[in-house]
Amino acid sequence: MQFIWEGIVGAGRLIFSLDPEVYEILLFTVQVSIFGTLLSALIGVPIGFWVAISEFKSRPLFVTLLNTLMSLPTVVVGLLVYAFLSRQGPLGSLGLIFTPAAVIIGQCILASPIIAALTLSAVNSLDPRVALTARALGADSLQAAWTIFTEARFALMAAIIAGFGRVIAEVGAAMMLGGNIKGYTRTLTTAIALETSKGEFGFGLALGLILLAMALAVNAILYRLQRGER
Amino acid sequence: MRETIFQIHDLRHTFKEKKVLEIPRLSFEKGKIYALVGPNGSGKTTFLKILSLLLPPTSGSLFFCGENPWGSTRLQTLRQSIILVLQDPLLFNTTVFKNVAYGLKVRKISREERGERVRKALQMVGLAGFEGRRVKELSGGEAQRVTVAQALAIDLEVLLLDEPTANIDEKNVEILEEIIRRLNRENGTTIIFTTHHMDQAYRLADEVIPLFEGHIVQSPVENLFHGRVVKSNDLSLFDTGKILISISRPEKEAKYISIPPQDILLSLVPLSSSARNSYPGKIISLRENKGAVDVTVQAGEEFKVRITKNSFREMGLNLGHQVYLTFKSTAVKVF
Repeated sequence: MQFIWEGIVGAGRLIFSLDPEVYEILLFTVQVSIFGTLLSALIGVPIGFWVAISEFKSRPLFVTLLNTLMSLPTVVVGLLVYAFLSRQGPLGSLGLIFTPAAVIIGQCILASPIIAALTLSAVNSLDPRVALTARALGADSLQAAWTIFTEARFALMAAIIAGFGRVIAEVGAAMMLGGNIKGYTRTLTTAIALETSKGEFGFGLALGLILLAMALAVNAILYRLQRGER
Repeated sequence: MRETIFQIHDLRHTFKEKKVLEIPRLSFEKGKIYALVGPNGSGKTTFLKILSLLLPPTSGSLFFCGENPWGSTRLQTLRQSIILVLQDPLLFNTTVFKNVAYGLKVRKISREERGERVRKALQMVGLAGFEGRRVKELSGGEAQRVTVAQALAIDLEVLLLDEPTANIDEKNVEILEEIIRRLNRENGTTIIFTTHHMDQAYRLADEVIPLFEGHIVQSPVENLFHGRVVKSNDLSLFDTGKILISISRPEKEAKYISIPPQDILLSLVPLSSSARNSYPGKIISLRENKGAVDVTVQAGEEFKVRITKNSFREMGLNLGHQVYLTFKSTAVKVF
C-alpha cells in the first residue's frame, strides 16, 4: 500500500510542480495526435462519405472491412508499418523509422478506419429526406452532397474525436514506430510503459493521470456533440 | 391560348417492374393551377417527381418550356425554375433564415438579395421576424409555412406541392390556400398540387386531373359521390346519404367515390350476377356522346351510364323507362 501511496503523492508533485519532462511528453503527444487525427480525418471522412452515398456491388464487403479495421490491434499496425519503414524495408530509404512521422503514419492507419466507419454510420443514420429535399429545392448533386455533409456535422465531429481518442491512448504502434526516444518520440503511453518497468511508479502514474484526464475531456466533448444533435 | 409549360407524350414509368404511371398525352398551360387527385398509390407523387425533373421517366417524353430536359445540358438550369415541396418536408438543422435562403444560395443569388427575399417570403407566410429562430423551436404549422416560404423566396416557373395540406390544421389550410392563389395571381407561377380532397381540388384549381392506378381517368370525374365509408358485417359500404354502395377498397379516410359510366351495366330486368351493386331506377335524360349514348338514371343518386348506340337501339330505351343498374364493387374508385 505504501508503494502505491508514495506513487500517488509523487505523481501529484510532478503534475502540480509543472515538471518540464512531464509537460514535454504531454505537448509532444498532443501535437502528434492532433496531426495524426487531422490526417486520418482527411482520409477517413471522404472514404466514409463516399461509401455512404454511393451504390456499388461490393459495398457490404467494404463495410465489413472497415469495421474489421476498426478493431485492428495496435501492435499489428506497428509491426506492418515497421516492416515497410525499417532500414531493410521497401520504404527504408526514407529514413522515417523512429521519427514522429512514423508515429503519425501508424496513428493514421489506426484512426482512419474508425473515422471512416463512424462517418459512414453518421451519414447513413441521417434522414433520407435530406438529399431529396436539397434536390427538390434546386441543388445539384454536389450541392446536395455538401448539404448532407453539413447536416451530419455533429456526428462527423464526434467521429473525428473518437479517432483522436484512439490515437492518444494507443501504445503499440507508437512504441514500435517511434522507438520511445526521450525528447523526440516519447509519448504519454510509451513513457508510462517505460517508467513503470523502470520502477518509476510515481512518474508513470503522473502521466497516467494526465492521460485519463484527456480521455475524460475527449468523452465530455463527444457527449456534448451528441447532445447538440438533438 | 396560353403557353404550354409541360408537354407529355406517351409517358410511362415503372418501379421494380411494376407500371406506376402511364400517361399517353397531357399538357399543362403556363400560369394555371392544377390539382392531381386520386387515392393512395395512384401515382400522384411519382408524377410530381417526374414533373420536378428529379426523376427521369422510364420511357416517353416530357417537354418543359419546349425543351426535352433529359437530353439537354441545361437540365440543372431547367430544374432550378421548378420547386417540389415534399409531402413530409424536412427543414435543415439550422436557422429559419438559412432554410429559406437555401434555394437562393444553390441558385447563386447574391447575399444582399437573399436577405431581402427571405424577409419578404417569411412575411408572406406570416412568419416575419422568424429569421434567427432555430427550426427545432418551431411548431408543426410554422415549420410547414417555412417550407412554403422556401419556395416563395425563389422566382419560379412552376411550384409543385405534394399534399400541401395533409399534415396541418384547418386554419393553416386556409392560409396556405390563400398563399397558393396569391402566388399564382401575382407572379403567374404555374402550380401543380396533389390532394386527396376533391373539394379542395375544385376550390383551388383551374383544372383537376384525376389519377387512378397511374392512369388519368375521365375528366371531370363522373358519377362522383360524396359521403363516408361505413362497415356492415364484412362488407365495406359507402354511404352517400341517399344510397349505400358496396366498395372494394375500404379506405377509412375516403370521402369520395366515383364509378366510370362505362363500368355500369344497364338492363331492363334485374340481373342476377356476382356484382355487388344493383339498383332500380328511372331514365331522366338521354344524350349522344361521341358515338355512344349517355343515359342518366335516377336511382337514389343520379348515375350516368354510357352504352353503345347499338345497345341503345336494341333495348328501345326512352325517358321515364324503368331500368336496373349493376356494377361491381371493384369498379368503384375510392378517393
